[in-house]
Amino acid sequence: MNPKKLTKDQIQKIFLSGLGFIALIYCYFNFFLGPLNKSRASMMVTIADLQSKTASSKAEMKKTANLEIQAKEATGRYETLKATTAEGAPIAWFPPKMRAFFSDQGINKVTARLDSSADFKQKELADWIKNTWAIDLPQSEYGDLGNAIAELENSEPLLTIQHVVIHAVPDDPQYQQVSLIAQTALLKK
Amino acid sequence: MALQLNLLHEEITQERQRKRDPLKLGIIALSCFGALLFLYYGWNAYRTIQIKGQLNAAEREWRTTEPKVTAAQKRATELHQIIDSSKVLNGLIEDRFYWAPFLAQVSHCVAPNLQVTSLDGSIAEGRHSVTIALEGLAAAREPRAAAEEFRQLLSEQLEKNYDEVKVTFRNLEDLDTAVNLSGVSTPSARFILSVTFNPKRGDAAKTEETGSAIAKSK
Repeated sequence: MNPKKLTKDQIQKIFLSGLGFIALIYCYFNFFLGPLNKSRASMMVTIADLQSKTASSKAEMKKTANLEIQAKEATGRYETLKATTAEGAPIAWFPPKMRAFFSDQGINKVTARLDSSADFKQKELADWIKNTWAIDLPQSEYGDLGNAIAELENSEPLLTIQHVVIHAVPDDPQYQQVSLIAQTALLKK
Repeated sequence: MALQLNLLHEEITQERQRKRDPLKLGIIALSCFGALLFLYYGWNAYRTIQIKGQLNAAEREWRTTEPKVTAAQKRATELHQIIDSSKVLNGLIEDRFYWAPFLAQVSHCVAPNLQVTSLDGSIAEGRHSVTIALEGLAAAREPRAAAEEFRQLLSEQLEKNYDEVKVTFRNLEDLDTAVNLSGVSTPSARFILSVTFNPKRGDAAKTEETGSAIAKSK
C-alpha cells in the first residue's frame, strides 16, 4: 500500500508546526533555561568566592590570635616603655622629674634643659622622638652621684647618658660639679 | 465469507483526515515536548533555588566574618608594628653604655695618694666606643710612678669588663708645689689620662650592683 500523498494544506500545517517547534526551542533556551543556568553559574562562582574568602579570613583570624599570644610579651614590654612618657610636652615634665629624682638621691639644685629634639632614623620608631637633655648637678658627692646614675640607668630604660663631665669643686674637693648629656626616647603625643 | 460494504466511505475518510491533521498532531507533539521542557525547567529552577539558599548562607557568614577579619587585620598590623618597635627599642636599651659600673671601677682604682680632679667621658655615636679624659694629681715620693701605677691598675680593671681598652698618658708633669699628705709634704705630679674602650653588650645587670660598690669605695 503506497502512502497517501500530502496535500498542500497539510504541508503548510507541517511547516507551521515546525516553525512553532523552532520558536519554542529558541524561546525556551534563550529566555528561560539560559538565564536560569547563567544565574546559577554566577551564584556558584560567588559562593566559591565567598567560601574561599571566609576560609582565608578564618585562617587569618587564627593567625592573628596566635600572633596575639606570641606578642604578649612584646606588647607588655611596649606598654611599659610607653608608660615612661608622661602626658604633656616633655619640656614641661622631664626637668621636674629629673630634679625630683636626683633630690631623692641626695643631690639638690639639679637643672635639666632640652638641648635638641629629632626623629629617629629607624622607621619602626616613627611614633617616638629622640630628645637630648643637658642635666647639671652643681654639687654632688662621688658616692651619691654613682648611686644616682646607677639608679637612673636602671629605672629609665630609654635614657642613655651620652656624655659625662665631672669636675672637682676647687673650694670643696669633697664635692663634684657634674654635667650629663642624656638622650631619651619618648613617645610622640 | 461475509461480504462487508462500506456505505459511509466519505465520512470515514473525513474522520481519518481529521485524525491525521498535521496541525493538530503538531500541537499535541509541541504540547508534550513543552511539558517535558517545563519539567526540566522546573528541575533546574529547583536546583537554582537550592543554590540561592546556599549563596544566602555564604553571604550571611561572610557578613558576620568580614568585620571580624577587618578588625583582625588591623590588630595584626598593630601587633607587627609593636613587635618591630619593641625590637628596635630593645636594641637601643641593650646597646646603652652604663656609666655607673665604669665610675665604680674608677673609684676602686683611686689610691689615697691620688686625686681625680676631672673626668670627661663621651660615647661616640654609632661606633659604640667610649672615650674618657681623666685628669688628676698623684702625690708620692715618686709621683710619676704613682700615676703610672694608677694607669696600669685602671687598665687592668677595665680590661675585665670592656674590649679594646687603651689607657695612655696624654700629659704627665711634675708640679713644683708639694702636697700635704697625712701631714707629710710630698712631691706631686699632674696627669691627664686618655681612656678608650668598647663596651660589651648587655652589661646592664652590673649596674644594679654598682651603687653599693661606689658607696663602699667612698
